[in-house]
Amino acid sequence: MGAYVIRRLAYGVGVIVGVLFLLFLLFFTVTQPDDIARRALGEKVSVEVIEQWKVNHGYDRPLWPWQDWDDNLLFEHYRRMLTFDFGVSDADDSPIIDRIRAGVGPSLSLTVPLLVLGILGGIPLSLLVAFFRETYIDRTGVFLCVLAMSVSIILYIVGAQYLIGKVLRWYPISGFDADLLMLPRFLALPIIVGLLSGIGGDVRFYRTVFLEESTRDFIRTARAKGASEPRIMTHHVLRNALIPILTRVVLAIPFLFTGALLLEAFFGIPGLGSMTFDAIQANDFSTLRTMVFIGSLAFVLGQIATDLSYGLVDPRVRFE
Amino acid sequence: MRGLPSANASLHVGIIAGLAFLLSPLLGCSNDPYPPAKEGEKVLYSSFIDAPRTLDPATAYTTRAHAITGAVYDTLLKYHFLKRPLELMPGLVVALPERTELGDGRVRYRFELREDLLYADDECFRLAGLDRTTREVVSQDVAFQLSRIADPEVGSPVIEPFSNILGFAEFGQRLTARREADPKFILRPVHEQYAAVGGIAGVVTPSIQVLEITLHRAYPQIKYWFAMEFTTPVPWEAVLVYDGKEGRPRFDDHPVGTGPYVLVEYDKQARYVLERSPNWYGVRHPEWKAPSAVFPSEGDEEDRRAGRLEYAGRSLPFIDRVEVRREKESIPRFNKFLQGYYDASGIIKESFDKVIQEDALSPEMVARGISLGKSVALDVFYIGFNLDDGVVGRGRGERSRKLRQAMSLAIDVEEYLRIFMNGRGVLAQSPIPPGIYGYRPEYKNPYTRVDLDRARTLMVEAGYPGGIDPTTGEALRLTFDSYDTSTAGMTQVRFYTSAWKQIGIDVRIEATNYNQFQEKLRNGAYQVFQFGWVADYPDPENFFFLLWSEMGKSKFGGPNGANFSNAAFDQLFESMKSRENGPRRMEEIREMTAILEHERPWIELFHREDYSLYHGWVRNVKPMGISAPTYQYRDIDPARRKADRLDWNKPIVWPAYALFAAGVLIVLPGIRTYLKERQ
Repeated sequence: MGAYVIRRLAYGVGVIVGVLFLLFLLFFTVTQPDDIARRALGEKVSVEVIEQWKVNHGYDRPLWPWQDWDDNLLFEHYRRMLTFDFGVSDADDSPIIDRIRAGVGPSLSLTVPLLVLGILGGIPLSLLVAFFRETYIDRTGVFLCVLAMSVSIILYIVGAQYLIGKVLRWYPISGFDADLLMLPRFLALPIIVGLLSGIGGDVRFYRTVFLEESTRDFIRTARAKGASEPRIMTHHVLRNALIPILTRVVLAIPFLFTGALLLEAFFGIPGLGSMTFDAIQANDFSTLRTMVFIGSLAFVLGQIATDLSYGLVDPRVRFE
Repeated sequence: MRGLPSANASLHVGIIAGLAFLLSPLLGCSNDPYPPAKEGEKVLYSSFIDAPRTLDPATAYTTRAHAITGAVYDTLLKYHFLKRPLELMPGLVVALPERTELGDGRVRYRFELREDLLYADDECFRLAGLDRTTREVVSQDVAFQLSRIADPEVGSPVIEPFSNILGFAEFGQRLTARREADPKFILRPVHEQYAAVGGIAGVVTPSIQVLEITLHRAYPQIKYWFAMEFTTPVPWEAVLVYDGKEGRPRFDDHPVGTGPYVLVEYDKQARYVLERSPNWYGVRHPEWKAPSAVFPSEGDEEDRRAGRLEYAGRSLPFIDRVEVRREKESIPRFNKFLQGYYDASGIIKESFDKVIQEDALSPEMVARGISLGKSVALDVFYIGFNLDDGVVGRGRGERSRKLRQAMSLAIDVEEYLRIFMNGRGVLAQSPIPPGIYGYRPEYKNPYTRVDLDRARTLMVEAGYPGGIDPTTGEALRLTFDSYDTSTAGMTQVRFYTSAWKQIGIDVRIEATNYNQFQEKLRNGAYQVFQFGWVADYPDPENFFFLLWSEMGKSKFGGPNGANFSNAAFDQLFESMKSRENGPRRMEEIREMTAILEHERPWIELFHREDYSLYHGWVRNVKPMGISAPTYQYRDIDPARRKADRLDWNKPIVWPAYALFAAGVLIVLPGIRTYLKERQ
């Protein structure tokens, strides 16, 4: 297993190094530092102020090592990212690591309940529709799932803000307050929207997995032995369907930290998703680079964690 | 049959648990985004879209930054809250500065600070070695701040106007030279560095209360800069301590000032909170009745009608706390205003017709007690011609002048305002907007109205009959350079090009990003462009300098994008800019306007009109037209707000129960069928 983990980590490092190079090409060669500076400083500033800004942010260096081996942007880019020294935001000079630290909490406060409630809601619902397979409940469920999947999350957001926030006045239309008494009030609406937009895909996926499992020989055996249908669904089908469920869940875990981009942005939750959204809007490339890097890191780690988790739930899986 | 009761029971438990889960949030639901305020406390609720890049008063140059810095940093001079046009009055100083002519064109201004002014309480004073958390404001603090503006490493965007101070530029050069020559020098505290290179020659502090500024040439507009936070007193201790190292905040995010409010909480991603400063001189010395610490008693008829003058002579501020929440999206922000959770709001485009009907508030808004405030911003938007260009520029003399005149007569600005801005704008007749000295309401520029017949005649006189360029035999082709590549921006530019098509001119749009656009301007590679200017201060000089030859974009890198260069205009400008307001100055402005009318370096478009909505519980709202702080003048009626909010925000719960019942009704028959089959 040790050799397997090392091999997977080595692949992961290769992917990260490649991603960093693509990031460099995208952010340093396509965009001119003057554009970034002008965006950050405003239109009235003089050329001298722009030049000083470039010096302060290190954008005055040559791009490639062959232009200056000791002091170039490519090596500096790798050094910073690989040592997690992300520097300061291009938009407001604040240290990016501080913003990440401040954003993780709000992001997790949204994404963890979303994941947990998504599983707690999605699995029983899929069991229900699978249980009533080929009845009107199954067909209605599948229809509603396809409908839910077909609607853009933006529409859910705007619709929920209008209907639940403005017309029914159940929860604040947007905003965030870390106070534990106020927090549920602000999270209710984005969680409802997140669940609605995700539940269709989840239920369809889990249902397919459950239906596939429910036609296996061991299920027929259990049924022949007189096991009740609820028991078959919860003890035999669910347990054996864990691998694909686990794949989906474990892959999602690293991304809990990077936040939910649109939900955070539209509901005003100051998490990492919102931070990424702001960085896109403000041409804050240093923050954007960092978030893309963290996203790719999370993806690679998620892949490795998923593979390793198979061995935990299925003794037949061997790492070689 | 053993399994049946168990399955039945578990289904029931599931249903009950699901019901409880679905309805649990509703048990305590409320759309109130705020925790309860303390009884009797006056809190103003507002919003911001994005946090400012910096709160350093030497570099902060945006309206959103001034919303904070204007409350936290007090200035030597202030604008009168009610008088229009805007008028200066003493702020931290005892009187308006005395001006003395020194000969050789030099001018001295003498400011006398009030005694016993204190900074807001802050730990930086203790960390810098004092035994308390505040200290007295001294004139050296203003000199320190002026030195910071001159310091190239600070990167202040307003170095140019302050370069009128004697020795200002030289101070920056000496500082840079010393830093480059001696690497250890930069390790010294910045106030010691400034002292070591000798300070700015034209900034002298004869006593801790007196500051003397000497200009090497007349620049009466300098006084306006002392009404802006750039020149506020700044304690060197704050700059020293708040360096962003070892967990300390940066001075950019941690202001320490002399203003009526203190920034007590600053989360750039979510909220900031301002609280009344107990150290502000207006609070500590209400008996002084200082002009900027009491509500003004002079106003116009509209102020009297709005009840503002009832506050005359009362000590400021009225609001205890300002809660500002981040609200990035305009629709939620506006809806929260309608729910009573924000005290004031602009009007979003999507709701404009619902809010404004026949240029007044709709009956629905009036019924809610909302009032509308209109103000014309101190700005100007215009289409400019590059007068260095071979076709539209001065090189072709009368021909190009007539071409520019014809193009002016083809643009229907009123239609533009109606389509793109909900009619929120005032037609510009000259660079000067209403509210600025020199604006003449009776003046109508003959080239800012639509007259296609006259335009076509002018095209013939210009040598382009029917818009045909005789050298090519095709429609005259021009380019319009734009730095707005968005769909909305392109649609707006197409409005102009379509207008010019009516007189036969084929204007192609070249849209690039802002820096490429700037690059084109620097190189002179452009013909027609659109631009806007927002005033820094309420003086005609701040508009006419956009057409002064010394500000030419191509030659000097200045903001005169039209590269307009006219000897008569320049002479008038130089005379006007150093003259105090009066009949002679008005005459000079009239003559300059006449030159622009004839020469047409610009097609003046509009001055933006701001529409603001306020709830009935908010008092003393009067837009200033420029970025100036007004929190201290506002007042609210918390009891009325509380009652209105409760009335407007009662939750409607029945749809939740209906939804749940519908779900149960869908599932129940299936369950019943299953149970029957099992039996």
